[in-house]
Amino acid sequence: MIVKDWCSYCGCCAGVCIRNCIEVKETALVFSDDCNNCGICVKACPLAALEMEE
Amino acid sequence: MIKTDVLVIGAGPAGSTAARFAAKGGADVILMDKKSEIGAPKRCAEGISKQTFQKLDLEMDPHWVTREIEGVRLVAPDGTDVWITNDVVELPEAGYILERKVFDKHMAMEAGREGAEIKIKTQAKGLKREDDGTFTVTCESMGETFDINAKIIIGADGPESHVAKWAGLKAYTKPKHMESGIQFEMCNAKMQRSDVLEFYFGSVAPGGYFWLFPKGDDIVNAGLAIIPDFAGDKSAYEYLVDAVDNCYATQDAQAVELNVGGDPVGGLVKEMYGDNILLCGDAASQVNPLTGGGITSGMMGGRFAGEVAAEAIKAGDYSKKFLKKYAKMVDDEMGHDMEKYSKVCDYLWTLSDEELNSIAHAFQGMEFSKISTTELVKALIKVQPKAALKLGKLFL
Repeated sequence: MIVKDWCSYCGCCAGVCIRNCIEVKETALVFSDDCNNCGICVKACPLAALEMEE
Repeated sequence: MIKTDVLVIGAGPAGSTAARFAAKGGADVILMDKKSEIGAPKRCAEGISKQTFQKLDLEMDPHWVTREIEGVRLVAPDGTDVWITNDVVELPEAGYILERKVFDKHMAMEAGREGAEIKIKTQAKGLKREDDGTFTVTCESMGETFDINAKIIIGADGPESHVAKWAGLKAYTKPKHMESGIQFEMCNAKMQRSDVLEFYFGSVAPGGYFWLFPKGDDIVNAGLAIIPDFAGDKSAYEYLVDAVDNCYATQDAQAVELNVGGDPVGGLVKEMYGDNILLCGDAASQVNPLTGGGITSGMMGGRFAGEVAAEAIKAGDYSKKFLKKYAKMVDDEMGHDMEKYSKVCDYLWTLSDEELNSIAHAFQGMEFSKISTTELVKALIKVQPKAALKLGKLFL
């Protein structure tokens, strides 16, 4: 997952992540290897700050 | 390894209140938050009802109240509005607009003064259950990793709700119930009244509404929440920019803050407790599904969680069976309302702009004796027969 630099670490993505694989630090977003690119977080982001890797 | 009776993860209003009441009840309490500043950045429109303070034994403090609210203005897509203000009708749900950055810190201080140990800049990384049933939470702070063992964990980690997921509780918020919220705090706003909350409905914010919450002088929280499934390809941010540009009060206003966050509006989670664990606040989805407001309900959840945790520690019983009374208290306090308002949302979010306009037109001639959300829904049923079918039984 590509995290754009305007991400504000609100954690909306982590909330809807079924696999609980997004760690929201104060100024970083860390995806674990469990991520299977389902894309739910991409749609939930209020800032459109997530993009699937090709 | 650090040992404690109660570990509260997340120092928002719910977590801090849980820590405060657990400590007051005699338990050893640690309250931790990942942020370096409790309360910042805010993820909230900052409205709170007046009754909250009594319910939580709090004195209203001018340090964290920006504005007293005397009414609401509801605006339909075509601009038709309905004013409901204290000078005309009794408003049982009147309230204040807070300064959350100050309020949240004060709530954490209340916990600290009751004896809770506060750890800021400390993040939970995971938890495991020990053979004796207690939980050990792996924590990280300033590059150091350490464990905290607690007899009871209170998960107050907001909409992210990692704690519930780690513990295997059924507390997941489906995407269709997670509002994507976004807000500018602005100056130069031209509100018609600086003590009235404004709500704009319709395609301006699909699955939610656009709000203006005044914070005194020319300052306003201008925000909206959408359900992405209803909102096409446009992001919440794009909706907000359009809404602000098209609204008279905000078109010349200047943003000084951008706030974002998820708001769980699916009603109380299925499991808000288990052996040695309680959830409160957004983590338990203690949010009014209609308004999206969760400060009062989250703090009440926090109070109950703290009280029950302290009782459990005294009794030496941290079992699911003992902690069950927490769910009962929460359900008695807000369960019925949540269910009702959920149904209202299911209905309200299906209305077209035209239908909303016609409702607003019909509301024009109405006189209200007393206004609460329930009264409004009753009025809605009168003017929109379709609403009676879906909501009649609940409200009439």
